[in-house]
Amino acid sequence: MKRLLRSYMLMLKWQALSNKPILPLNLVVQLMIAAGFIIGIGFFYPQITPSTAKYLTTGAPTISLLMVGLVLVPQVVALSRTQGTYDYIWSLPVSRMVYVAADATVWILVSLPGVILSVILGAVYYDFGLHITPLVIPAVLLIAVAGVFVGYAIAHGAPKPQMAQLATQVIVFGIMIFSPIMYPIDQLPGWLAAVHRVLPVKYMADLSRGTLTDLNVDLGLAFAVVGGWCLLGFVATFLLISRRH
Amino acid sequence: MASEQTGRSILKIDSLCKSYRKGVLVNDHVSLSLNRGEIFGLLGPNGAGKTTLVSQIIGIAKPDSGRIEINSIDTVADPGYAREVCSFQAQTQVPISGLSARQAIELVGAVRGGDSRAVRGRADELLRHLEMEDWARKQADVFSGGMRRLVAFCMAAVVPGRVVILDEPTNDIDPLRRRLLWQEVRNLVNMGSTVLLVTHNILEAERAVDRLAIMDRGRVVAAGTPGSLKGNGGENMRFEVTLEPRAELPATPGFLRGMVVTGRRVIGRLEESDIPEAVQWARGLKETGVAEEYSVGPITLDDVYLRLVGREDAVEDNVKGRTR
Repeated sequence: MKRLLRSYMLMLKWQALSNKPILPLNLVVQLMIAAGFIIGIGFFYPQITPSTAKYLTTGAPTISLLMVGLVLVPQVVALSRTQGTYDYIWSLPVSRMVYVAADATVWILVSLPGVILSVILGAVYYDFGLHITPLVIPAVLLIAVAGVFVGYAIAHGAPKPQMAQLATQVIVFGIMIFSPIMYPIDQLPGWLAAVHRVLPVKYMADLSRGTLTDLNVDLGLAFAVVGGWCLLGFVATFLLISRRH
Repeated sequence: MASEQTGRSILKIDSLCKSYRKGVLVNDHVSLSLNRGEIFGLLGPNGAGKTTLVSQIIGIAKPDSGRIEINSIDTVADPGYAREVCSFQAQTQVPISGLSARQAIELVGAVRGGDSRAVRGRADELLRHLEMEDWARKQADVFSGGMRRLVAFCMAAVVPGRVVILDEPTNDIDPLRRRLLWQEVRNLVNMGSTVLLVTHNILEAERAVDRLAIMDRGRVVAAGTPGSLKGNGGENMRFEVTLEPRAELPATPGFLRGMVVTGRRVIGRLEESDIPEAVQWARGLKETGVAEEYSVGPITLDDVYLRLVGREDAVEDNVKGRTR
């Protein structure tokens, strides 16, 4: 265990140093997107009420975290696969999952400030009250970790790295337009609503809403479904990166 | 984990086969054995299967059949052990963007379980020996390909494994530092490691390795010391004639064997006792304006390599075609 922790800290240092040149910029971009999103929804809904704003704003953390997990991570992995990075990394005496965990930590840490900013800014800008419970910490972490593991599974599972990059574009579109994050699931056609009752996206939004506001959400179900997807992503990632050519 | 053996062989590969999707056999019953404390060269043209073989040793790829043993431990079954005892310089570039040369080297040293003070000392030593001190604190993003490769070498050498695998370590490196690098490779052996050196560079390999294997089309076509590979019965001399531009190749005398034509150069093997006759023949070619110059000397590994990698047949056909 001590050895795993030491490896994790060393790989975390490696990843942090490797990404140092782009981390500040990435952080700024995440903050700008978060702020832009909050202010932007006011343009979509000029007559927005505090309660609508509360609904939309508390969906923002899920979108931010999924953008990192399902878009940024697959793109970074695809680039690393193209460059042959894993041929070297996998030769080190470090568990592959430890490397993935260190990599995921960096990206999750980068995404968190944007998440926090979007919620606070939304509450102040649209003047609504938050009801934050301590469960918000495990909820946000679970959304982030589940997103990242599913992202790794997509990125390592794609037969060609370029396919993973293409997949991220479809995912962005799907999340932004066809996912019940910014609107209730009842507004979707029946078949798509059924799909979203299996996918984790709706439940991720439920997790952030249920722990940030007093909106009525089945948190137990949301934790269970997102937790299940997190486990699925973890196992898939483990199996995919454990493969030998 | 089984106890370590102290036999002569440290890495043993037995009848290893590996094919990729379309059924192409990339390694075809490869058998090799590396002795402790030697530099073993693995030579062969592009696509010979060298890097695939290395990937299997380090546990990144899995063989279809055959065995790999390091210290008598089956590393096909236990690839983790291979990663513990082997340090590796990949042919691809290492992911060191954002890191300084020193940070990259020290990080790998720590990852390989080195004590921080010892790692720092060893990193200093490598940077000094390879005359890289001026680059130690600079970020790798500004490094040339050669400098990145030197850093990658240091990463493999900072806490060397009992087997150090170097895949094309001298690519893109300037001649001065190449010389320094070869000294460091020898130094690894002095420190107790065994080195598996994968290279295209036959001239450098000839000087650096204790033993070598030549691979072609997935198979080991020869193995031994450079001296033993060069000794081809009595025909241990090479005779080279450079033809005048546009001159046609004359009929070659019978004592010249294994003719290889590359451009205007015609190279063949012969016995030492045939040298006077060969010189006389070449002088005649010069006087009649067919040959520009000629030379005679001991066979090089380069000649052996050319002969073994299966290019000779085609070349000899070419010679026949051009012979009057």
